[in-house]
Amino acid sequence: MDCKKVQQLFDDLSHERLAPDVATQVRRHLADCTDCRVVEQRSARLQRLLALKRYERPTPEYFDNFLSEFHSRVLAEAQRTGWWEQVLERIDDLLAIGSVRTWRYSLAGAMGVAVVMSLMWMSVRQTDDFAGTTGHTASADPSLVMADSLLPPPRSTPATIAAPLSDFARVAPADYQPTTAGSVVLDSTPAHADSSAPRYMLDRIPVTSASYDVPNVQF
Amino acid sequence: MKLTETLKLGGRMLRGTNPPAPAIEREVDLQHEEDEALVRRTQNGDSTAFDVLVGRYKERLYATVYHMTSNHEDANDLVQDTFIKAYKSLNSFRGQSSFYTWVYRIAVNRTINFIKRRKNRNSYSLDDLDSSIQNDPDLVELMSHVTPRREVGLTELHEKLNEALQKLSETHRAVVTMHDIQGMTHADIAKAMKCSEGTVRSRLFYARQQLQSLLSDYL
Repeated sequence: MDCKKVQQLFDDLSHERLAPDVATQVRRHLADCTDCRVVEQRSARLQRLLALKRYERPTPEYFDNFLSEFHSRVLAEAQRTGWWEQVLERIDDLLAIGSVRTWRYSLAGAMGVAVVMSLMWMSVRQTDDFAGTTGHTASADPSLVMADSLLPPPRSTPATIAAPLSDFARVAPADYQPTTAGSVVLDSTPAHADSSAPRYMLDRIPVTSASYDVPNVQF
Repeated sequence: MKLTETLKLGGRMLRGTNPPAPAIEREVDLQHEEDEALVRRTQNGDSTAFDVLVGRYKERLYATVYHMTSNHEDANDLVQDTFIKAYKSLNSFRGQSSFYTWVYRIAVNRTINFIKRRKNRNSYSLDDLDSSIQNDPDLVELMSHVTPRREVGLTELHEKLNEALQKLSETHRAVVTMHDIQGMTHADIAKAMKCSEGTVRSRLFYARQQLQSLLSDYL
């Protein structure tokens, strides 16, 4: 029998709860092992020291009002009958039980996953909404078509054209958000000329002579 | 128990009216009844029977909770909460264990939960030592062992003992309280904490090792 095993049996030895043969083995080990003897003596003194706590007692009148206080609390609890409080209390009790401590981690993990999923769903939904808005603007909103028709033709423009935001906002739908603050930036012409498919929605708009009559375009 | 009966009971106490003489006689009769009978009476709506159970176990529960918290106000609150919880849940009590084991388990769980919540916020409010401690042979032996090395008063010993206990984890503290202070058996502790006897022994072993190092000056 090793020292650790013997030391775990000191308590049972002192309370005479060991089987006779096991008790004999422990005593024999104690007779031979100085370390275990020291541990055994310290353990016995610790138990005597702890037993002194039994002398810590409240005064005899301490419990005089215990029952009336209990009745008052029962009454207060009975008046507080909100179902949500009962549910919270039940959850609290459930989590307080030691045997289901691991549930806490599962619950926390499940809540974390739920939060992440909600955020992802909201993000996807926002993207769909935005796509719907832009599609609607390009195909059906006549105000944006009109706005595009007011822009100068690509070939006559320098590398970039900065149109004042105020002019654009006058005709754009209220929910449109420009990606570049203060100006609308168009790409240069040569790249556009070489490609067959339009790269921007604005490229689909036919250019007419009226397009040159924009007074506020700055070159 | 029905809500109206609970309210009636609480209302009687709040108004400060004393129960009529026959009620007192009945309560005296109930004192002789077994726990099981009192539980059945309470389940059938007789709140006086539960008062007897409260009176029977309040001090024992208080002692356990007090030694775990080292604070007598907290202990009083927790024992009140325990009885309220037991009263409200009594219909779900099926008698698979004794009433005392059941209510004791509620008290220990609530106390462990309370200690976890107030972690690192220890506040001591100790009960006084009973004067009969001066005649305790263990104390006499202990003091004669400690005094040659350093002068130590009973009050200091009392405080150091509580400080050391508060440094243990909740479950270790519960096991030490039940075994070394209250003298419960491993089997009863295992029932109260819903764990195996091996777990109880192991917790006790490690808790004592920690206490031995914390209280080395007094051992």
